[in-house]
Order: sequence, then structure tokens, then C-alpha cells
Amino acid sequence: MAERLDVQQGTLALMILRTLDVLGPLHGYGIARRIEETSKNRLALNYGTLYPALLKLEQEGFIEAEWGESENKRRAKFYELTPAGRRQLARETRDWQKTADLIAAFLAPKKEA
Amino acid sequence: MMRAIRGAFARVAGTFAGAGAEADARAELEAHVEMAAAEFVRRGMDPLEARRRALLEAGGITQAVEAVHDQRGLPWLESVAADVRYAVRSLRHSPGFAAVVMLTLALGIGANTAIFSVVRGVLLKPLPHRDGHRLVYLRHSMDGPGGENLAFSVPETRDIRNGAPSFSALAEHSEWTVTYQSPEGAVRIPAGLVTGNFFDVMGLSAIRGRLTTAEHDGAGAAPVMVLTHEGWQRRFGGDTTVVGRQVSIDGRAATIIGILQPAPFFPSRAEALLNMAISPHHVSAFMNEGRTHRMTEIIARLAPDATLQQARNEVAAVSARVQGQFKEAYDPGSHHRFAVIPFREALGERARMTLWLLMGAAAFVLVISAANVANLTLMRGVRREHELVVRAALGAGVGRLRRLLLVENLLLALGGAAIGVAVAVGGVPLLTTFAGRFSPRANEIRLDGMVLAFTVGLSIAVALLLSLLATLPKEGGFASWILAGAHRLSSGLGKARLQRALVVVQVAVSVVLLAGAGLLTRTMLRLSDVETGLRSEEILTVNVPLLTASDLLYNPAADGSAKTRYELMRREARALPGVTEVGVGSPMPLRASDVRFEVKAEFKSLAPGEAVPRAEFRTAGPEFFRAAGIPLLQGREFGVADQRGAPRVVVVNQRLADKLFPGEEPVGKRIAWTGEILKFTPISTDWRTIVGVIGNTQDGGLDAAGGLVVYQPFAQELAMGGGLVIRADSNVAALTAAATRIVRRIAPTAPITSIQTIRQFKDASVSPRRLNAALVSSFGLLAVLIAAVGIAGVLAFSVSARTTEIGIRMSLGAGSGRVQRMILREGGVLVAAGLAIGLAGAAVSTRVIRDLLFGVTPGDPVTLAGVTVAMGVVGLVACWIPARRASRIDPAITMRS
Repeated sequence: MAERLDVQQGTLALMILRTLDVLGPLHGYGIARRIEETSKNRLALNYGTLYPALLKLEQEGFIEAEWGESENKRRAKFYELTPAGRRQLARETRDWQKTADLIAAFLAPKKEA
Repeated sequence: MMRAIRGAFARVAGTFAGAGAEADARAELEAHVEMAAAEFVRRGMDPLEARRRALLEAGGITQAVEAVHDQRGLPWLESVAADVRYAVRSLRHSPGFAAVVMLTLALGIGANTAIFSVVRGVLLKPLPHRDGHRLVYLRHSMDGPGGENLAFSVPETRDIRNGAPSFSALAEHSEWTVTYQSPEGAVRIPAGLVTGNFFDVMGLSAIRGRLTTAEHDGAGAAPVMVLTHEGWQRRFGGDTTVVGRQVSIDGRAATIIGILQPAPFFPSRAEALLNMAISPHHVSAFMNEGRTHRMTEIIARLAPDATLQQARNEVAAVSARVQGQFKEAYDPGSHHRFAVIPFREALGERARMTLWLLMGAAAFVLVISAANVANLTLMRGVRREHELVVRAALGAGVGRLRRLLLVENLLLALGGAAIGVAVAVGGVPLLTTFAGRFSPRANEIRLDGMVLAFTVGLSIAVALLLSLLATLPKEGGFASWILAGAHRLSSGLGKARLQRALVVVQVAVSVVLLAGAGLLTRTMLRLSDVETGLRSEEILTVNVPLLTASDLLYNPAADGSAKTRYELMRREARALPGVTEVGVGSPMPLRASDVRFEVKAEFKSLAPGEAVPRAEFRTAGPEFFRAAGIPLLQGREFGVADQRGAPRVVVVNQRLADKLFPGEEPVGKRIAWTGEILKFTPISTDWRTIVGVIGNTQDGGLDAAGGLVVYQPFAQELAMGGGLVIRADSNVAALTAAATRIVRRIAPTAPITSIQTIRQFKDASVSPRRLNAALVSSFGLLAVLIAAVGIAGVLAFSVSARTTEIGIRMSLGAGSGRVQRMILREGGVLVAAGLAIGLAGAAVSTRVIRDLLFGVTPGDPVTLAGVTVAMGVVGLVACWIPARRASRIDPAITMRS
């Protein structure tokens, strides 16, 4: 198995919001699977990290939770993006892009003198 | 921002979400594991193995539930809530302890809250005046009785205005009584005549209408009147339509132009403030050119970049210059001084000393009660060590244990504070009356947010101190603590030493308080013992000035009719049953006269540098001295022949005779009033022959330094004041109503400014001192009581901790007397140490209240000896109770247990 990274502080919220934006209402397990798959299994995500992050987003009003039934008839809690969450996603995506560009510029290969 | 607030709210709410949320989280995590396991099974794994893998990959469920839990609420808030719950439960288990601690603290905190509310209202609260800290009051004083506040003359005001650029503006205020023709009749109202800039300088605004400006200055201006808030309420019932109304003041029309915001009275109590134009006298050349015509008080505002020191230097320079330039107006022997006093200080002048005294006494009570509570806490701590060890063994950290103790102490202190504040709320009206005697700001006293903040701060400080006392091991030292167990710890020497030190502090502080109380009580007793100089107390005085200053100056005819009415009143009062004598004169006996002039004796000159003697100007009718019970020592009293037009005669007091004619026969000698100021008065500077000498009387208060007095026949001078002195065989107070009726019938509109028996007057003179003494004494008694309980408690605890030791001693042959002595010695050492420290402290600290004392010195040996005996006896009794208990220990029982 490839070396697995711990999820970086602050980025998990963005990943969750993005996941819910792409896939619509989803339970915790689904979110975890999706993040792991998207990262090609390079990210390790345990419940102790994921569920507090979900609760925090819920407390901040970016997502809503409701008990429902999963695809294979199990009771599961489904999370859904709120309008505020959608706005937050756009904002954070923009910020992240800027940061990424900035870091990329710093880390660009040295020019030949 | 919104997001943070919303998150915070959700978390506070989440803290109290309870068990439902917990189960919810667990169910969600279970579902997650099941889904993950199902996935593994789908990939072909054995179901049991699949579940194991799912759990492994995701971390344990319990840890995750914990993590979610911590995110849901606020972990620290939750544990504090737990601490509070625990503390309440633990205090409920020892209700006696909790009650004693809270009540003890309630006494200390309540006393401090109440006194602080007065200190804040009277001394500390920001002034309602705009930039009040830039205001100053100027005071002109000199040596000798009546020289404390001479006021300024208009030329002096001009000199200061020109010579002190540090003042951006100077306002003048002249205290004056005016007659207001109200719909119900003429009434005198206390007023102030001011320059137009007065309100601007004072930084006060109108709540209705407008205030005076420079256009209202000068003789030509139309008279206008600004009502003070009190005057508006009292005379016009708060009617807002009075603004713009024309009223009759001293027989002239004046327009009410505005109503002033509520503000403390300064320089004097006034119901209305008018421009100078209302008084012909104030715009006359007398007033405006006479350098010694001093009836103006000055309030000034410091210029934006000026300092108080600059202003003081400039005023001192002006003072030096004018004293050099106008020698006749400043007697060099009397040392004239111009002082610049910050306004707030001038306002609080009379209150400051008393209030800091009471604040200090209250603080001492708090120290003693806190020390007592500390001792109780220490003793309880010993009994609790076992519990704390168990809690530590179960994993509570030092921080957590400390916090737990702090929460407990906070609960106790705040509980005490709540009771204390409740007591203080009841005391505020009482304190307001008390403070009203010496501060114009008494009505600003209330328990406001600042006072409550002070109380809460005090409680928190007490709680923190108490928490620091608890013995807890250093971080990492738990193992040894737990190993040692509770028993080894409790005999810690350090703690016993601390308890003893606290007892010593209690005794010492009590001694200081008792010394203060003793000195103030002796002051009061000394004061009541002062001889007034009057031979009887069965005397009723009715002060009823019939003429105003304006009448005296501009209406010579009024004098004659006033004297007729005084004589009428005198005759009617004389006819009342039981009355033996009635005299007319002014001012009333034992009242100080505000009228003092320089006096000289014929054929005598002053020694170089000697202050020109000043004497009180008084008047008396023929029966006055007999009615007042003032003894005639030499010569004769005034007779009916001493009329206007007859040779000028005077009666002087013994002090004046001794001063001007030492070793000579004063009767037949001549004296005269002198000084520049007389030019502006209707008083003659002719020689007057002394026809009699009377005994000295204690005028102006029982603690006043005696002055020189000259009486002239009431008939020979203008009636600058007047009243009746009524003497009866017995129970003269019963004549009050009858006397009032007589005055009312003959002079319906004249104000009775005071009606008092000599006994009431004496009482009123002593009562502020009595109140001081009573307050500090009650604080002192409280302190001693608490300290006694503290001593007894600590010794009793020491005895109970040493039961085994004492049992052994007794079984080895120590008699009960010996044991008793041992314990007594243990306590006696503490009391003696406290006494020694306390006496040293008292010797130093009582000097602070020197100005409040009368007839005793701060280090008064009698008082200190009395305090030592009292405290010693109380201390020994407190020691004796536990000592007796120790001597009754049965060795057989203790040895067996």
C-alpha cells in the first residue's frame, strides 16, 4: 500500500462540502469512501476526524443532517448542503485556489541563471 | 463572524444536549461500521473478519464518540458545570460550614459594599460637569477663627483673571438670599448671583430653556433667573411652563430663562441662580471697587494646555503682588492665602476624611472575616484530604482539583456577597441621610453597576485567596501524596503555622479597629462634656431674620418696623406660661456669627507682626444675657436706655477683655471696629465704651476654638438678623409650637431659619461624632466577635487534633490544670502577639484620624490601655473554652481508641 497522508487541517471541510456538492445528500460512510477514492487511497480518514468535522459544519449551518435509508436498506444519517454551505464552498474554493497558486509560484523550479 | 457566533451558540446548546445526542452519534457510527463491513463482505471476506477490519480501519468507535462529543459541546464549560454541581453537593453536605462562611463573608462584603457605594457616589463618581476634572475652586483664607474661607472681592477676582493665564475662564458666584413673591406669599429662597459665564465655566447645561451668557452681565442687563433642578421641583413642582415666566424677585421683575440640569450644589445650596443685575448692591461701586468687600467665590476652568501647578504658581504670584501693593487690605499678621483646589476635592472636602475612615474600618472587618473563613477552610481541608487523595488516585489532575476548590470558594464568596448586597440595599437610604450631612452629592449614592462590580471583584479576590491556601501536591507529586495517605498530611506544620498567623492577624486588626472606636467614642464623650458657657439648658431659640440684606442696604425704614415686631414677639413670648425670661438678639447663643470685623482698643497699638484681632459682631437686647443664661462677670448688662442716639456701649466676652486689656480693668475702656471693609457697611467706626464683661460661650460648635465677641445693644444697630431666646422653668421644648404661632402671627412671611432648644443644639453638635463613633464601634465589636470565634475555633481544632497526645500526657501524670495551662499558653501567645502588633499598628494608623478627634490624642494611653484589657480578656475567654475541653479529656478513652 502506498504511503497514506493524514488529512490536512482545514482541507477536510472543503473536501466534505465539495463531495456533497457533487454527489448530493450522502451518509458519512459514503463521504469517507468518496474522499478516499478521489485521493486514490492516499488519504487516511478515521471516524474520529470525519464525524467531528461533519458536526462542526452542521453547527455552522453549512450542512444539514437527517436520518434516512441507505441504498441497501440500512438506517443512516444523510448530510445535505445548505445554501449557506454552497456559498461557503464557492468562497473556500476561491481562497484555496489563490493559496495553491501562491504556493506553486514559490515552489516553482529555480530559473537558470 | 456570523459563522463563529452561530457555531458558538450551537456548542453552548450542545453542551446541554444530554444523552439523546450521544446515542444518536453512536448509532451513526455503528451504521458506518456496518456499511464498511458489508463492503468487505461483498468483496468476499468472512463477516466476522470484515467487521474487525472495518473497526480497525476507522479507529475505535468509543474514541470517535468522544471526539464527536467534544465537538458538539464545550468541554471546559461542561466540566465547570460538573464542578459547580459537585461543589453545590459537597456544600450541601456541610450546611453548617457553608452557612457560617457565607454569613461571615456577608458581614465583611456587605459592609464594604455599603460604604463603597457612599465613597463612589460622593467622592469617585465622575462629575456631571463637562470636563469636571478641569474645574478648580479658589479659596481665600487667613489665620484665626472665621478665616477659613473669606471669599474674594471683585478687585481680587480681576487681579486673578488678569494674572493667571492658566485659567481659560473665571466665574463669580455670590451667595445671596432673595425674596420671591410666590402666589402663596413672599418666600425667601437661597440663591446665588453669578456672572454670565458661570454655567459655561461650570460645564452645566439647561434641561429646559437657556442659561446666562455675557450679555447678562452689568448693571444695565435685565434680571434673569435660572432655576436649579431642586428649586424647580420645590418651588414650581417641576412645571415645564415656568420657562419664560416673569416673577417678582426682591420686588423687581425677573424672567425665568431656564432650568439647570441636576448637579451637586456648589459653592452653596441654591434654588435659583440670577445675574448680578437683580441686586443693586452687586452692581454698585462698593462691591466692584472695594478690595476688602469680599463676597464672591471663584470657580475657574483650566486652559486646555495648562496644569494645576502652573495655575497655583500664577495665583501665588498674584497673591504676593497684591498683598505688597495694598497693605491696608491684607493684615500681614493674619497671613492671607489664595489656594487653588481641584473642584472635585472641594466638593468632597468634608466627606473625605470620614468616608475613608469608614472604608478603612470596613476593609478591616473584611480582613478579619476573610481570615476566619480561611481558618474554617483550612480545618475543613484537613478533614477533606482523604477525599482529595481518593479523587487524585482516580485520575483528577492538580489543575482540576484546584479548579474544584476554586469553584467551591467562589460559590461561598458569591453567596456571602449576595446576602451582603441585600443588607447593603437596605442600608443605602440610611447612608444617604448620613452622607447628606457633609456632602452635596449624597443623592448620587446608589448600588450601581460599578458598586456591584466592586462587590463581585471583592468576592472573587476572597475566593482566590482561599483557594491558594489549600494544600495540594506539586504537579507530578501525586504518587507520594497517595502513598502517604491522609493522616500523615494533616499534621503538616506549615498549615498549623498559617492558622496561627491568621489568628494573630485577626487579633491585631481588631485591636486597631478597637483603638479607632475607642478614640472616637472618647471624642464624643469629651465633646458632650464641654461646657457651653450657658447656665441653663432650658432655653429655646427661635431665629427669625425679618430683614434681607437688600432691606438693610436700601430700605432704612424697614429697620424700625422690624424692631417693633421683634419687641412684640418678645412680649407675647414672655407671657407664655412657664417662661421666665425672653431676650432678643442675633445670632442665637452658641451659634457662630459670620460677621467678624477687625477690632482695636483705644491707646493700644499692636506688636509688630501681630495679627489684627478680629471679633464677632453680635447684638443683644436688655434681657438677652439673662434669658440665655450667659453669666455677667463685670459691669452691667444692656439697659433700655441704651438706645439709638445714646452713647455707644458694648459688652465683650472674657476672652476679648483678656486679649485687649490683659491685667487691666476692662469696664470703662473704649474699643472700635476698624478695617477697610467697614466703609461698605452701615456699621460705625466710632469708639464704644465697654460697660460689661460676660463669660465665654462655646459658639460655633462644641469643638470650635473660642473667638473674641463684641455685643452691641440690639436697639443701637441695624437689625441684621434677630431672634428670640426664651427661657423657661422646665421643659422648654414644649413651648416650640406656641412660639412658632407667635412668630407666624406677627411676621407671617419671615422664615424661621431655626427653632431649637440648647439641648437639641448640643445634641446636633455632637451627633456627627456620635455617628462616627457608633459606626466604627460596631465595626470594632463585629471584628472582636469574629476574632474571638476564630481563636476559639483554631484552638479547639488544635485540641481535637492532639487528643491522643493529651491523653498520653495525662496518663503519664499531667493533671487537668496543667493541660488547661498548656492550651491557654498556646492561645495566650497568639493573643499577645496580636496585641503587640495591633498596638503598634494602632499607634501609627490612628494618626490618620487626628482631625476627627477632639480632646484626645491619637496615641491616647488610656484608650490603648482599655483596648489592651478588653482584647486580652476576650482573647483569654476564647482560649479558655477549648482549654477546658482539653482538660476534660479522659485518657482511658483516648488511649483505647
